[in-house]
Amino acid sequence: MGIENSPDRFKHLDFMKMDRRTFLKAVGALGASLFLQTYRSDVVKALEFAETRIVWIHGGECTGCSESLLNGGEPDVLQAFDRLNIRLEYHELLLGQQGIYVDGEMVNTSELNSEILFEEVVKEEGYILVVEGAIANGPNGTGKYMILGGKTYKDIFRKAAENASLIVAVGQCATNGGVNSADSDIKDLMDFRGVAFTMEDGEKGMLQELGIEKPVININGCPPHPDWMLLTLGAVVLGKIKIPDDLPEVLDQWLRPKVFFPPDSVIHDNCPRRGFYDKGEFDTVVSGEKCLWKLGCKAPYTHADCAIRRWNGYHSLCPQSGSPCISCVSPGFPDSSRPFFQEIEDVGIAGTNIDTVAKVAIGASLLAVGAHAIRRVAVKEAPERKEPEEAPGKEPEEAPGKEPEEAPGKEPEEAPGKETEGAPYKKAGKDEGEDQ
Amino acid sequence: MVEVTVDQLTRIEGHYRIDTQVNEEGVITEAQSMGLMLRGFERFLQHQDPRDAALLTQRICGVCPTSHSLAAAGALDQLFGVEDAVPKDALVVRNIHQGLNTIASNTTHIYVLWGTDLANPAYRDLFGNFGDTGKAVWDELLRRYAPISYRLNGVDIPVGVSYAAAIREKRRLHEAISLMGAKMPHSVLAHVGGVTYGPTLADIGQLASYYWQVMDFVENFALGVSPETWIENTRFASSPQKAVNFVVDRLQELTAASLVSNDFSHAAGWGDVPLLAAFGSELIGEEVLGLPASMKLDRTGGYSNPDTIGYLSYGVFYKPEDGDGYDPTSPPGSRVISSGYMDGNLKLHKFDHRKISESIAHSFYVDSEADRFPWEGVTEPEPEPDEIDYSRGTESRYSWIKAPNYDGMPCELGPLSRMLIMEDPLITGLAQLFRENGYPAINTYIRMLARAQEILVVASELLKWVTVDLDPSGKFAVPTDLSMAKDSEGMGLWEAPRGALGHWVATGPDSRVTLYQAVVPSTWNLAPRNTAGIPGPVEQALLGNRISAAENALGVDYTNPIGIFHTARSFDPCLACAIHTIDLTGKEEERVRVI
Repeated sequence: MGIENSPDRFKHLDFMKMDRRTFLKAVGALGASLFLQTYRSDVVKALEFAETRIVWIHGGECTGCSESLLNGGEPDVLQAFDRLNIRLEYHELLLGQQGIYVDGEMVNTSELNSEILFEEVVKEEGYILVVEGAIANGPNGTGKYMILGGKTYKDIFRKAAENASLIVAVGQCATNGGVNSADSDIKDLMDFRGVAFTMEDGEKGMLQELGIEKPVININGCPPHPDWMLLTLGAVVLGKIKIPDDLPEVLDQWLRPKVFFPPDSVIHDNCPRRGFYDKGEFDTVVSGEKCLWKLGCKAPYTHADCAIRRWNGYHSLCPQSGSPCISCVSPGFPDSSRPFFQEIEDVGIAGTNIDTVAKVAIGASLLAVGAHAIRRVAVKEAPERKEPEEAPGKEPEEAPGKEPEEAPGKEPEEAPGKETEGAPYKKAGKDEGEDQ
Repeated sequence: MVEVTVDQLTRIEGHYRIDTQVNEEGVITEAQSMGLMLRGFERFLQHQDPRDAALLTQRICGVCPTSHSLAAAGALDQLFGVEDAVPKDALVVRNIHQGLNTIASNTTHIYVLWGTDLANPAYRDLFGNFGDTGKAVWDELLRRYAPISYRLNGVDIPVGVSYAAAIREKRRLHEAISLMGAKMPHSVLAHVGGVTYGPTLADIGQLASYYWQVMDFVENFALGVSPETWIENTRFASSPQKAVNFVVDRLQELTAASLVSNDFSHAAGWGDVPLLAAFGSELIGEEVLGLPASMKLDRTGGYSNPDTIGYLSYGVFYKPEDGDGYDPTSPPGSRVISSGYMDGNLKLHKFDHRKISESIAHSFYVDSEADRFPWEGVTEPEPEPDEIDYSRGTESRYSWIKAPNYDGMPCELGPLSRMLIMEDPLITGLAQLFRENGYPAINTYIRMLARAQEILVVASELLKWVTVDLDPSGKFAVPTDLSMAKDSEGMGLWEAPRGALGHWVATGPDSRVTLYQAVVPSTWNLAPRNTAGIPGPVEQALLGNRISAAENALGVDYTNPIGIFHTARSFDPCLACAIHTIDLTGKEEERVRVI
């Protein structure tokens, strides 16, 4: 972290007077805990703002995102909520309530019965809905593969979404379907959906399925960094990001905040093992200390600030622990990242929608490193895809595959649809738009 | 007869429903355990690189990802034929990785998921009948265990001090895990042939530092005495009787002082474990200590028929003194916490992995066979919406959870089973004490104390692994090559915080996966009826329970069935794990069992 991004740079600034751009730089440079400490007095001022209500619902998921959230804040997430004047109105993992029925009727009050509580809190408009986990649409569009309190989760999601002023999807399952939507022969039967996308498909989000239009922010990651969640909520609560007006500028085409998922840099740029890459020294067996490129590392095309921010106490990230980045923030995860442990040269970077910047970055790095890198890096073209119309963050100039010199079809041997033919690793989500 | 349904049972992982029939005396006469969700994770390893399994399968569960990744690594060790060669220091790192996760998970469960029920208003009413002492006890419960956004009679209650402290401690433990595993949840680290990271001296120093910070919490919040004192007098007591006496003597001292002062605070020595140990039990609290009231958790959550239940552990934590490699079948005594099967009368038997099978007789799956061994597992979800009907009763299908059995017997898994099978003196002694005094030997109270005791047992081993056994200049992985996994199979037997966890994998001639099966602890605990119609462990443990607080001491309140909450949550349900969607075996027509 250079002087440019040092906390000191922001210390003399009046946080509440910061414009959005400076504010986003500040939260990008500081971790959530440091941020909340540095600006404690300012945040206290923010309490003059009205209480922000958060409704947090869980679908097809592992609860890892909530677990990650609980690792955030300073000294803990409870105090972070306190300072931001957030009231977590509903969260199945943490609340005291549970659903209670006697002879089929809901009983007791919202102080003990979570079903009554849920009905009460979603009745009143104006909350932020946080969605964790994918939403089952199957079988046959009934949503019956996931039922809570006698209602399908699809129905619960609809109810909660209708009165929300903003939907924040946290984690891969909610943003893009994640592991629930990985390719298998029962994928279509189960039909798990993300909130605004299903894998890379911007027309198959559950919101589109239900015909609901709401502003959406996606916090990708399996799980997301707690800072990504807390700082996004903080920025919205404090009015630093106006909903929905500011969203097109602060989000990328996958609706991810650019401050955490920077379009112009990748994890590889700041990887602690980067020096070995530049020297051309690679590990081929795990538990070494060199570059993991040959073990399948996806950091060269993964847009996230893991290498700067680092995880759990701000000290590590996957490649630092000797494991290749598996690009768990990419819309097509896990299909677009597999096989995890095979050098990309061997299989091609077949993940879809690798944007131009990443391709250039990989290409440039490889040229720079010299002889050891003279190899065919089969960077596959991202298919021309239809941009999701609901995407407020749509920025055509950043959309993959838009650059004329990289348009699909220019290089016949890499024509979409052919790249995986006969290949052992079939990637999901690649067909979308390819025939257009 | 009244139908009391808890749906959903919150403060667990996932979506879970319990249906009960309750008679006029407030006694549960029928119980159904229902997993309400199917997760879409399955069958995507077919034709894939088996090495992905350690990172992919941990995404089954964000609470115990560590356990899944290590069970997968175990299965892969055998698949690649390197289980004899995994370096000792890699095994020690795996132990540390799992040990930290077990402590974090048990802590989170005790305080955040289960302990919150101690702030249920039913206990205000119960203890409120006992003057200043009773009121002091209730105030203490609320002050410690109130959850986030809690309201009573319209008044906002501040978050409990123990609840908040446990969240901070879990976070600290996740930081410790991340020293070697990069991040948590969904750490890296577990890998075929060893681990991906060789810790440095600095890491070891930092791990030790985290350890002592966590032990501060254990001393100041959980125990009220030093962990060393506790472990020396319980885990290493010379007899079960002595271990129980140590705890009871300590409680008697505390009680004698506090019944006069009405001070039940942490500062007065009432750690969370002593507080639960005293006020949770009728036998210890009321009969032995002479407290005016208790929650009577020792009268609830047991098994009325010892012939329809067992207790199982696959064994966990490699023994560093055995050097490189390990036996994947986990013979008795080969792991620090041993494998074993204990029957319903608490008689210990040798564990044999070939006796594990799963039934789908009452689950929403389609299969020609009702029972299968993991190697032959099939997971075909019911495709017809109209067939997914939860209201057809226990004779029909009513859950997404399968029913695993050991030699045809439903089994309780988790810390209680592990502590009994490893013959921890405190937990063994408590079971004996209850039985001798006409209480159920197994009950909700002992289940929770076993979970707390396991934190101490694992912590005392953890310090040794970190400071004595781990050699930073050692080896941390053996080289492997995909060709080593040709036409092979592997089994990873391990213990997640919630109980025995097994992963099974097989590959074809191209080293690609042909079969992947995981049999998961909550699947056992939350199982529906099996093929023979025997109810699952939670179902059995609910039968005969009284549904209201302290054995219906204040009468029957169907609208606050705290008896269901305590017992069902005491199993630490994890639905993401339980729902059997990790048959990662791919397309039906291509499913080939390779032996």
